[in-house]
Amino acid sequence: MSDEPVMATNDDASECKRGAVQLGYWQDNYIPYFVRQIEKRAPEINRGYYARVKGVERFIKTFLKKAGSSSQIVNLGAGFDTLYWRLKDQGVYMSNYVEIDFPTVTARKCYAIKRNKQLLERIHEQDGEVKLSATDLHAGNYHCIGADLRNISQLEMKLQQAEVSFANPTLFIAECVLVYIENDCVNRLLGWIASKFKSALFVNYEMCNMNDTFGDVMLGNLRARGCTLAGISFCKNLETQKSRFISNNWQGAKAWDMVQIYYDLPAAERQRIEKIEFLDEQELLIQLFQHYCICVGWLGTEFADISCNGGD
Amino acid sequence: MSLSVKDLDAWIEKLYRCEFLSEDQVKTLCEKAKEIFITESNVQTVCCPVTVCGDVHGQFQDLIELFRIGGDSPDTNYLFMGDYVDRGYYSVETVSLLICLKVRYKDRITILRGNHESRQITQVYGFYDECTKKYANTNVWKYFTDLFDYLPLTALIENQIFSLHGGLSPSIDTLDHVRALDRIQEVPHEGPMCDLLWSDPDDRCGWGMSPRGAGYTFGQDISEQFNHHNGLTLIARAHQLVMEGYNWIHSKHVATIFSAPNYCYRCGNQAAIMELDDTLKYTCLQFDPAPRKGEPEVARRTPDYFL
Repeated sequence: MSDEPVMATNDDASECKRGAVQLGYWQDNYIPYFVRQIEKRAPEINRGYYARVKGVERFIKTFLKKAGSSSQIVNLGAGFDTLYWRLKDQGVYMSNYVEIDFPTVTARKCYAIKRNKQLLERIHEQDGEVKLSATDLHAGNYHCIGADLRNISQLEMKLQQAEVSFANPTLFIAECVLVYIENDCVNRLLGWIASKFKSALFVNYEMCNMNDTFGDVMLGNLRARGCTLAGISFCKNLETQKSRFISNNWQGAKAWDMVQIYYDLPAAERQRIEKIEFLDEQELLIQLFQHYCICVGWLGTEFADISCNGGD
Repeated sequence: MSLSVKDLDAWIEKLYRCEFLSEDQVKTLCEKAKEIFITESNVQTVCCPVTVCGDVHGQFQDLIELFRIGGDSPDTNYLFMGDYVDRGYYSVETVSLLICLKVRYKDRITILRGNHESRQITQVYGFYDECTKKYANTNVWKYFTDLFDYLPLTALIENQIFSLHGGLSPSIDTLDHVRALDRIQEVPHEGPMCDLLWSDPDDRCGWGMSPRGAGYTFGQDISEQFNHHNGLTLIARAHQLVMEGYNWIHSKHVATIFSAPNYCYRCGNQAAIMELDDTLKYTCLQFDPAPRKGEPEVARRTPDYFL
């Protein structure tokens, strides 16, 4: 099976995000540097991406608040995600920020960063050095590295190059990443993280409740674009999502479907974005939300009381 | 401007192959269709036997499947309750074929207006973009949306079954109220004409706010009263995705029929049509999505997910 279709999901997600940003769903001044073209998406897709970005963001904020200045973020399968630049603009201080993706994807990301002053100047510490290869970029506390998440020894080596500290509280983010990876590889990855890191929070956004016709149709549609969802058996329901962390030696896990996540977002913001585009068929959005979730797992005790409403 | 039966048959044959008409052909077609629709009533009379169909939404292959299940036009009489365009990838071919059949066999097929047969909605949900992609300009979109203003709003089958896209309106008590509407216009944002195309039946009694942002929800009390008052046995409508393709509500005073299987190529629902025989006995026929034949594998679009 080729990895190309999986890499192409980054283009799809990035285009959708850029489109939604352009319409005003949320602010992201950096996504246009990575994605040039936009194809119009249906309103439920734009709203769904809003829920994903804002839902994940709440866990990030909670993590940063708890972990403080020693916090470290490792974004797995980061694609063209712009979180680093957005956090930088908000004046958030982190000890280290690492993005990992296929080398083909990081090569394009590194190239875009190199070409755009607005991206480069925010990762470039004064007097700091920017180390750039075809697929990797190291600058100050920002690291973009090409690695295969299925290859733990390569990953470990690359993380060391990125000066990752196993002792610092670390946030792992994976948005629709694990679902493309075979079960034993994901187990190995999660088990390895659990054996190395003392204090960590893992935020995983992907499919759930896939055991119905909607799930069958999705598998068929993604197969038609060359994407097999190798890790789909963990997406059966919220329980299978959580138990994957527990069985790989994480201390605890919680999970919410996107219906819950969306309706726990601040009501005023939700009302604002629901006015951007007219969506007459709510059931289309709800059906999508029922089939996606955020599952969090933690190591140590620091993040055991995490909840989806972020306490705000 | 003349349009021969021979030309029309050639267009229909072409459309059955899922090949779209030229811009000029669409222009001629819409002019002819307008002449027919303008003579039709807001409450168009329909005789049985007839097969009643719900939303199609540009799912061309599934419309062909519908004709396979229900019988070819004009051998079977059809009543379509709106929403021919948007969402699916073949709105142009779908609406072109249905309008061609209407012009060719005007007494054999009735075509009502749905809430998506509107300038505003088609700009959000795909028909506008599809027209500009297929014709490199907006003329065809304009011809069709101008034509949509002429579509009848409702139909009355054998004086017993009231058929329409959405549902009832608090401003309408009798069929004569519907007959009195000035329908030749864009679907308004509110008012009786809007409600007919936007409302939904609901488990709660009385009138309610619609979560759609247009039209109302109406309870069983409203349906019963309307049917009783107008000597009707049933309201047959479309507009809502129902997983089985059809659905009875309000103690069988209202039926929902939805004819787009696997709606948006994503929802996993069945579709249905309702056959009414010459004694008005009904049979609901369910059908599954047709294989998307003839689409080149590379150009084939897949529906959107969060990836």
